[in-house]
Amino acid sequence: MVWCGIDLGSRNVKVALLNNDGVRYYKFDTIKFYREHGRLVNGKLQVDLESLLSVEEQIDTVVSTGYGRQTVNLAGARAIPEIKAHVLGAAYATGLTDFTLLDLGGQDSKVALVSGGRMVDFQTNDKCAASTGRYLENMADVLGISTEELSRYHENPVELTSTCAIFGETELIGRVVEGYSTASLAAGVNYTIFKRIRPMLQKLLSPVIVFTGGVAANTALRKIIRRELAVEVRVPPAPQYAGALGCCLAARREGENRG
Amino acid sequence: MKIGITTTVPVEIIYAAGHVPVDLNNIFITHNRPESLVEQAELAGYPRNVCAWIKGIYSTVLENKDIRTIIAVTQGDCSNTHALMETLELAGVTVIPFAYPFDRDADLLRLQMDKLMDRLGTDWTAVQRTKKYLDEVRSRVWEIDIMTWRDNLVSGWDNHLFQVNCSDFQGDPAKFAREADAFIKAQRQKEPDRQSIRLGYIGVPPIMDDLYDYLEERGARVVFNETQRQFTMPYGVDDLVEQYRLYTYPYGIFYRLKDILVELERRKLDGIIHYAQSFCYRQIEDLIVRQKINIPVLTLEGDKPNRLDARTKMRLDSFVEMLR
Repeated sequence: MVWCGIDLGSRNVKVALLNNDGVRYYKFDTIKFYREHGRLVNGKLQVDLESLLSVEEQIDTVVSTGYGRQTVNLAGARAIPEIKAHVLGAAYATGLTDFTLLDLGGQDSKVALVSGGRMVDFQTNDKCAASTGRYLENMADVLGISTEELSRYHENPVELTSTCAIFGETELIGRVVEGYSTASLAAGVNYTIFKRIRPMLQKLLSPVIVFTGGVAANTALRKIIRRELAVEVRVPPAPQYAGALGCCLAARREGENRG
Repeated sequence: MKIGITTTVPVEIIYAAGHVPVDLNNIFITHNRPESLVEQAELAGYPRNVCAWIKGIYSTVLENKDIRTIIAVTQGDCSNTHALMETLELAGVTVIPFAYPFDRDADLLRLQMDKLMDRLGTDWTAVQRTKKYLDEVRSRVWEIDIMTWRDNLVSGWDNHLFQVNCSDFQGDPAKFAREADAFIKAQRQKEPDRQSIRLGYIGVPPIMDDLYDYLEERGARVVFNETQRQFTMPYGVDDLVEQYRLYTYPYGIFYRLKDILVELERRKLDGIIHYAQSFCYRQIEDLIVRQKINIPVLTLEGDKPNRLDARTKMRLDSFVEMLR
């Protein structure tokens, strides 16, 4: 028996396959995924998952989530809300039942308070995506370094004040001209993300933060959160796939309930 | 003549003076392309980062040449209204200011009403008579509200629509009363909905019109529309000054919360949606709302008139899922 979870993100489509042996992950560029592997049939996105993922067994149940689920209706899949998927995935991956979930993706920042295994409150960004992965990518580009390199720095951050991710680029260029080191500039960028998510985190804080999404790979940000908020920061294995994993678990539950 | 209003004012005075009130918000939002009105105001020079309601009202008045006089609420709504008045004056519109006293002072409120009566040419006797009649019309909408939360026969959208129209009774109270009667009769035949999650909606009315239907498709029904209900003058008092003192909307968040907390209990709400318009000072008050309300609160922000965007839908889904 194989269960499938799909997280239709803004930058990547993440797929998780779960069977009794364990879980496997796949990642596709979002635009490529829609262009090359999907086609619209009766207003629904048809994807031949078995051949795309080259699995031999038949997939039992598919559950999807992600930004795409509002615009794309994946044929044959039940959709669940993103935050629920991430909470399920994070709880399973860490074995925790009480924590604050922080999920930072391509365009999303989400914070959820989980108590006794249930989500009791959440906050998300709205109207602005200046605190997400896309911002980090842009800023790394401006500095001429990779996002991996960017994520190493957290000491002596330069002050960046712009509230707009696009104007932020101009501000960063100004700081480059002023002669700050790449380390300071990169630390400033990482701190900017923290300042943006801090109000959300503070409202829903608990002693353990489970950090998921692509941005969880940013080790500097983990250190900043730990230092500034005095909390434990846990990053589960494959943090970018927490949503897809959560969908898998929902699919398995659905399959079991069906009998 | 038609008199435009920027928000609810003592509409009894306008009718008693033989004029027809027009709630400019309703004309704006039921326009076939309301977003074009916002764009029009931006082309005229209104900043992008200003409430879309103000911009919509501005263009609405300029487009409706039969509305040359407006009553603008200068205290008890928002300060953007001041600049709205000024820009409309510049365009040759007659603006009559009306102020709800910040501390709900009865003498000051009576004085405001006296001045409005003088200005429009009517008196207390005529106004009292009109009030009596309008209360009869309102009583139908009070019943629609009860049919929403107690009898579970009315959708959140219909509840919103009938209540929000009590700011001006669509310019024809008798016709509006007949519509309400017909609606009540039809809804009485329906099967009650006892399954849905029960939501409260607080804040100004939403700028997107598909919110209620979207929630109902997901198994959640709005059974309390805070501000819209206030437009119906729900307390049923005889004295006109007292009526507009009890009316919560112009008087700050703590006074509003008293009403909200009573209704939250009475209507057995599972969760509350706090709507705030982009760039509105009421966004700040969200922090007070969250501290004072002890059931889950989802804060929604709306900017341009439109359908719900993907992100707002995602947030609504998660909220409903959380309450289930």
